[in-house]
Amino acid sequence: METIAYLAPLLQPQVFGIIALGVLGGILIGALPGLTATMGVALLIPLTFGMSPVMGLNMLIGIYIGGIYGGCVSSILLRTPGTPASAATVLDGYPMAARGEAGRALGMATVASTIGGLIAAVVLATLAPQLAGIALKFGAAEYFALALFGLTIIASLSGDLLKGAIAGVLGILISTVGADPIAGVMRYTFGIQGFASGFAFTPALIGLFALSEVFTQIERMAKQEPAVVLVKGRWPSRQDMRDSKGALVRGSLIGTLIGIIPGTGSGTASWISYNEARRSSKTPEKFGTGYAPGIAATESANNAVCAAALIPLLALGIPGDVVTAVLMGGLMIQGLAPGPMLFQTNPDVIVGIFGGTFLATIFMFVFGMALIPVFARILMVPRRLLTMSIVIFCYIGAFSINLNPVDLYTMVGFGVLGWGMQKFGFSQAALCIALILGPMMESNLRRGMLQTGDNILAFISGPITLFFLGLALFSLFGPVIARHLAQARIHKPN
Amino acid sequence: MKKAISLVALAAATLPGAALADFPVRPIQMIVPYAAGGSTDLTVRIVAETLERLYPGTTAVVRNQPGGGGGIGTSAAVNARSDGYTLGAGAQGPIAILPHLGGTDYSIDDVEFVGLYARSLQVMVACANAPFDDYDSFIASAAERAPQIGNSGAGGANHISAEAFAQAAGIAVESIPFGGSSEARTACIGGHIHAMVASPAEALSAVDSNQMTPLFVMEDERIDLFPETPTAVEKGVDFTWSSYKGIIAPKGIDDATLNWLRTAIADVVADPQFIEVMTEMGEFVTYEDGSAFEARVRRDGDMAYSVLDALDMLGVNN
Repeated sequence: METIAYLAPLLQPQVFGIIALGVLGGILIGALPGLTATMGVALLIPLTFGMSPVMGLNMLIGIYIGGIYGGCVSSILLRTPGTPASAATVLDGYPMAARGEAGRALGMATVASTIGGLIAAVVLATLAPQLAGIALKFGAAEYFALALFGLTIIASLSGDLLKGAIAGVLGILISTVGADPIAGVMRYTFGIQGFASGFAFTPALIGLFALSEVFTQIERMAKQEPAVVLVKGRWPSRQDMRDSKGALVRGSLIGTLIGIIPGTGSGTASWISYNEARRSSKTPEKFGTGYAPGIAATESANNAVCAAALIPLLALGIPGDVVTAVLMGGLMIQGLAPGPMLFQTNPDVIVGIFGGTFLATIFMFVFGMALIPVFARILMVPRRLLTMSIVIFCYIGAFSINLNPVDLYTMVGFGVLGWGMQKFGFSQAALCIALILGPMMESNLRRGMLQTGDNILAFISGPITLFFLGLALFSLFGPVIARHLAQARIHKPN
Repeated sequence: MKKAISLVALAAATLPGAALADFPVRPIQMIVPYAAGGSTDLTVRIVAETLERLYPGTTAVVRNQPGGGGGIGTSAAVNARSDGYTLGAGAQGPIAILPHLGGTDYSIDDVEFVGLYARSLQVMVACANAPFDDYDSFIASAAERAPQIGNSGAGGANHISAEAFAQAAGIAVESIPFGGSSEARTACIGGHIHAMVASPAEALSAVDSNQMTPLFVMEDERIDLFPETPTAVEKGVDFTWSSYKGIIAPKGIDDATLNWLRTAIADVVADPQFIEVMTEMGEFVTYEDGSAFEARVRRDGDMAYSVLDALDMLGVNN
């Protein structure tokens, strides 16, 4: 009964309006390469000073949810990840759009984002205090094991294991540029101050996926004029939905769990989810060729992270990712201290945020579906013009994040690298995963060694650590063993 | 509208002598050397907003230039044209500590100090499952085994403050660097480290819900938020440390403009609405003029120098 009374501040036209506005703004911010959900939330915090807590926070949550979803638009249409969270969506989304099924791909992404968001929101509203405890169990060893497990994705993701491993190792080497996470010493910066925090992540991704594609297309255009791409429909087909069922459920749950663990984020979640969907699929060879479940897996996971990242924030006062860290600032300005006490002292705010998360997800679905034809029309633009505008967007996107000219060199450098990798059959995805997970693995390994006094056995002895290390071994050798068993069965005489 | 703009432009062009009285005619840029959303960024945005409200017609724009532990944005501010239109957020790490580590193209001597508007007080807290829960048991426990103290990054402000306290108190500590204070705070609440240096705002909710225990305050006197918690000074260790937020500028701004800026910051800090919003965010609003601010930064810089010297980290990035 009380809970319903707490919902009252949510059920006002202004609050509805502000959430809708936040989501719409978020979608546009996410869809533009270089503008991230974090920036959107941070820049609009001053606007919330004068609002009631429920109104202000829900506007920010709307931007967050819309922003993470919006990233899929440019991933699918332009091969340019709008946010790092949707880099994995490029793998199946872009081939689908290139085939003339951009509408279907965007529709799948929208449905998947909505399902992921709703499942995580249900978990948030029902189990937040109980699940928040998981976040506290993660120390250096657990993060290390999780990152190592994530890196084993490279093995199954790249067709050629050796080339995949080379791309992954290259990614880890590249990620060591910048300040050493433990000693604070600069590594491989060649005295250039702009590289002091390493290669900036979003410019690197834009170069790796978008600019490299531009190069490839220019190469192709020199040979022949490409046909104009048609855009059909906006709903995923019934067959797509049936194929994607497993991927959607698994993606949502993986996203929720990863979201609860602070400091991992939606990039990690979408890659792990993609790999799980592929591993458990009956037709793994279809992944990467424009297969709907691939989009379902990544987009359900990255939007599940949004709501799930609110769990440790509200229940423990620990932000789950960068955006929730900014949200925590927003809460404190409202005079609310996030943490276990908030459930007792301000249940109205908690219920308001739960409700707002549901509302924002529903608005995201409505706007997303409504905007698909508008977004997809981008592809009707003649190829030559589109290619040139992508180049301009690459530059604007890479520069606008940090206003650091060095980031432009990063973007171009990674563009050339990505083009070369594509040409010679190295997996850009493997490099991308290593860029995300390499630093997490390195810093936690070294922090753990520092804490245990270089005792590797003490370091890997925790149950969660062993669980993830076991998963890593399984993910590496599982397919090989399964193949052996299958062959043994065939050869066995009856 | 167009006409008005061209009139202003004409006035500015034909009356160069009057330009001083007319400062500012263009938007004032404030460079924040961190990504949008952090506490430095949020407070500078409030400063900019208050400035626009108190001086109608003035525009103040916040520009984020993160990277390199704040070194990149601070360098951009310090090396900007010295016409008073480009200012910077003066944060402790990039101006007092980073130059000692090397790899920066500026030093404290290149900084013009406009004014300090807030200090972030520092509290040493015990984390979940730590083998101590007050100052005396902390010191006693440290004598047996060096406690693991989390910080927000190697060579960062609260790495220096923890080591500086250890030097002053004559104990050994083991510093564990994290990627930012929120990572350290998570590890602390989860019981993966023994202690950390936190701001009262960061600590308050966690202390209320028994996730952290305050050990001592790094001030001369006890603070209102934690009246029960002793200071290091009253325990006989001559040690104080606080972080701060101020406005800096490049050297060489003409006196009239600099005075305008200094008065403006003083007015902002005196504004009741500014104080209210800042206090709610957990900031300790206080004003120090340019010279007091500079003296504070130099004092910190010297302490950071001796700590980094002991850790053998001086000039590691040169």
